[in-house]
Amino acid sequence: MSKEAFNPKILGFLCNWCCYAAADSAGVSRYQYPPNLRTIRVMCTGRIDPAFIMRGFVEGAAGIFSGG
Amino acid sequence: MASAKQTKSGTVMVVGGGVAGVQAALDLTELGYYVYLVEKSPAIGGAMAQLDKTFPTNDCSL
Amino acid sequence: MSLSGKPGAFKAELNLRPRYIDPDRCTACGLCTTYCPKHLVDTYNEGLSVTRPIHIDYPQAVPATYYIDPATCLSLLHDTCQICVPVCRSNAIDFTQKSKKRTLEVGAVILSPGFGRVPDEALTQYNYGNHPDIVTSIEFERLLNPSGPFEGEVRCLSDRRHPRKIAFIQCVGSRDLGCDNGYCSSVCCMYAIKEAMVAKEHDPDCEITIYYMDMRTQGKDFDAARVRAEEHYGIKFVRAKVADVMPWGKNLKLTYSTLSGEHHFEAYDMVVLSVGLDAPASAKQLAEITGIELNKYDFCKTTTFDPLASSQKGIFVAGAFQGPKDIPESVTQSSAAAGIASSLIKAQRGKGVVVKSYPVEKEMAADEEPRIGVFVCHCGINIGGVVDVPRVDKYIEGMEGVVFHAESLYSCSQDAQEVIKNKIKEHNLNRVVIAACSPRTHEPLFQETLKDAGLNRSLFEMVNIRDQCSWVHANEPAEATRKSMDLIRMGIAKARHIQPLQEQTVPVTRKALVIGGGVAGMIAALNLAEQGYHASLVEKTDSLGGHLKNQRYTLNGDKTADYLKKIVDQVTKHKLIDVSLSSSIVAVNGFVGNFSSVIQSTGKGKSAVEQTIDHGIIVVATGGQDHAPETVLGQALPKSPLIITQTDLEIRLDGKTKNRAPKAVVMIQCAGSRGDDLAYCSKTCCTQAVKNALKIKEIDPESQVIVLYRDLRTYGYAEDSYREAREKGVIFIPYSMDDKPVFKATAKKVEISFNDPILQEKVTMEPELMVLSVGIVPQDTEELSKILKIPVNADRFYLEAHVKLRPVEMPVAGVFLCGLAHSPKPLEEIIVQAQAAAAKAAIPLVRGEVNVEPIVSHVDQETCIGCSLCTSLCPYQAIQMVKVDNKRKAETIMASCKACGICAAHCPTFAISMGGFTNEQITSQIEAFGQAGEE
Repeated sequence: MSKEAFNPKILGFLCNWCCYAAADSAGVSRYQYPPNLRTIRVMCTGRIDPAFIMRGFVEGAAGIFSGG
Repeated sequence: MASAKQTKSGTVMVVGGGVAGVQAALDLTELGYYVYLVEKSPAIGGAMAQLDKTFPTNDCSL
Repeated sequence: MSLSGKPGAFKAELNLRPRYIDPDRCTACGLCTTYCPKHLVDTYNEGLSVTRPIHIDYPQAVPATYYIDPATCLSLLHDTCQICVPVCRSNAIDFTQKSKKRTLEVGAVILSPGFGRVPDEALTQYNYGNHPDIVTSIEFERLLNPSGPFEGEVRCLSDRRHPRKIAFIQCVGSRDLGCDNGYCSSVCCMYAIKEAMVAKEHDPDCEITIYYMDMRTQGKDFDAARVRAEEHYGIKFVRAKVADVMPWGKNLKLTYSTLSGEHHFEAYDMVVLSVGLDAPASAKQLAEITGIELNKYDFCKTTTFDPLASSQKGIFVAGAFQGPKDIPESVTQSSAAAGIASSLIKAQRGKGVVVKSYPVEKEMAADEEPRIGVFVCHCGINIGGVVDVPRVDKYIEGMEGVVFHAESLYSCSQDAQEVIKNKIKEHNLNRVVIAACSPRTHEPLFQETLKDAGLNRSLFEMVNIRDQCSWVHANEPAEATRKSMDLIRMGIAKARHIQPLQEQTVPVTRKALVIGGGVAGMIAALNLAEQGYHASLVEKTDSLGGHLKNQRYTLNGDKTADYLKKIVDQVTKHKLIDVSLSSSIVAVNGFVGNFSSVIQSTGKGKSAVEQTIDHGIIVVATGGQDHAPETVLGQALPKSPLIITQTDLEIRLDGKTKNRAPKAVVMIQCAGSRGDDLAYCSKTCCTQAVKNALKIKEIDPESQVIVLYRDLRTYGYAEDSYREAREKGVIFIPYSMDDKPVFKATAKKVEISFNDPILQEKVTMEPELMVLSVGIVPQDTEELSKILKIPVNADRFYLEAHVKLRPVEMPVAGVFLCGLAHSPKPLEEIIVQAQAAAAKAAIPLVRGEVNVEPIVSHVDQETCIGCSLCTSLCPYQAIQMVKVDNKRKAETIMASCKACGICAAHCPTFAISMGGFTNEQITSQIEAFGQAGEE
């Protein structure tokens, strides 16, 4: 599959204390990963209302990532 | 941010900036004292900064 | 360095070495390291990789400033090179920096220099240095680490192959008089198990064997992890003494001898030496400077009853320098030392600090139109080198609500803060968005700038286009630019909905409630009183002293009764301590800073009296007691006067009767513990057995003392006593779970049969006494855990907030924990833990108020239907149900709320909103996510 053919938009919800911090660390260590993710910082993944996930799909997300 | 005034004894010196020194310094500031944390290397954290996980829960240590 | 003066007024002279880099300018971008031409062995990675003279040890280092190693830098050594100077975009490198002298005037000193490395001879006896695949456990730790030399892949240093078989050798540089380290380092068994488990997670097919004398996993929940390592991870544990390790073709040949004297050998790809903790290299120098005494192993000399006081008044010790110990105990000691130092100079509290003031915040009407200012940071070339910042800045033009936008070279620099402040005033901005690095590091700085400009600090949103964009998409500039635009659009969308949040504080009742009148509770109450706070001490029984009342002497011969009497006297005489005996807590209401509790007291023949007290914090020190086992070694325990506990024996040995030392005694360790009635190890019984065995030998050297054990856990300096006991003829015989000792008893006779692994035969004895090491159980934790809504673990001990980093705090704010209610532990550790709990508990009392982060939850009581789903879900007991106009409504206890938002996510009527993370804000971010593409 070519890159153009599959270039999904992914929406991520990251917990401030763990996954968001880990994403920062990945940057500090210059790990490279695909640029498809757009993130929203929350104070805990417990904050994620199922409605947010549904809304993400409505807005065109191909996948939702929840990291905590 | 706070800074030191010229007082005789409202301050504490903590020698060594590993996990023990850092914790002592943090608690002292919370208890209302100005702290001088003295560390010989360029960064605080000591031996714990070399660890990845900790026993027994294998939590991340950094 | 030098130190002079006395407690309250020390004078310290320090030498500050230069970094050659201006920390205010360095942005930690790392460009200099990539250009530096010289190599330097990376000590952070234990010499297993290389770095450059200009570097930072690890990305998360604090301060996040690079530095130059003067011993290897070409410029500092030979006055050449200086390639880094023009490379640095922020002009941070300064070769003119010199060492500086500094004089400090301080009231107290805490020494926490950590630990040192074991002597070389401890390592070379296993051929360390002669083969690259013989590594120390610290080197192995780095090999396992994702930031280590092979990015977390375990590889042999000899040929980079993945090891298939790994051996750990325990007690390297510990329990070894050959290198003058007679003590047990107390941490190696745990880290070896951890490293073995992590290695297994990397490669489940890797075979791992740990060669040990005793597995000393005596800490809270540690034994469970050891069992998991064996049963779940398939790690092999072999009780044997390793004779040597020799190169053997591509592999290593490890020769070992078992208890029965048999020799075996086995091939391994890698051998890990579990090195102990030695005294810090600077110990002697520190002793010279400060005048403190060291013990025979060069650690700081202290006593059982005053474990953190050095021999010099006003100088305290914490961490591994006090004796080898693990992280939670170090952290506990640090809090304790902080508390003791604080009592010493309490008259000077707050006099060393000045508080910054801010301009009055501008009023903002709820319907005020957003006027958003956006700053896009280049961070030198960190963002600008990948992301097309000018294009991103242009993209923002015309977005709804944006009245100003600009690029910024370094938005965190001092001059940029001035620009931000000016622009806020010039354009009357009421929201600020900064697209730069991570809010986790820089949000406080920018919020400070907002406050300086008279704006509420919540009117701020940060967009991370460095750590989570330019740095991770360095090779895809177009995509990184697009991502930056998307993230900024989402940030601006959120910013339109941001409302100012009031800074809130809750006043604190400056009094303490201490539950439990044992040594832990008494020490905690005393320390709080010494700090100047009133403490109510509530004890269930009719006298103070708790479990310590059963003890008679310590391992080094100190009389515990004298100590106990002294403490009880101090407590009863202290003006700031109220003691309620024969009393218990029947109800606790409120939250941190504002508790109100009902104490019920009963007297002889009198009816119960109830009183209510107000207090700001709670220290739980409800203690423990000797376990009364029903099953020992899988056998029902027969009733016989010849079977007694170690405590019974201790009382008997401390008496005056002539025949108090039995002629022949068999002690059984782990009687009822580690698998019988109790699953856990009680940490103290091995030391108690050795203590009593030595006492018997002291009274009657002819007595025959046999100790049947599984792992003899005389950790720390108690190892010296274990050795002494063996030298004095006490016989220690290990038993295994598949070959347990068997016993029979009547009122007149007790008979024990066990296997002697050295003689390799069954031995049957009829000793005068059989003494059980029974372990410790917590007291009444279930009852109080319900009243206080605090959790207990599977063994019914209270569960602390964080095992490593918050060992004396409970998950419920304002509740602290110490003593046997936390886990079994010896007196010295109980004292330290109580001091630590008192120090932590004093923090809200000192402040007089509890700060509430404005991002806590808020319940709209109009919309709330009172279903109480949120109260049942809140992990912090931070929502309560209240009656409003006779209807049940939820209400946030702001001081307890941690802003996790679980309540908001589950509220069926959307009545709960989170400050800074409202449904509206997050939904607008999601909407903006969907609008990608237009430019």
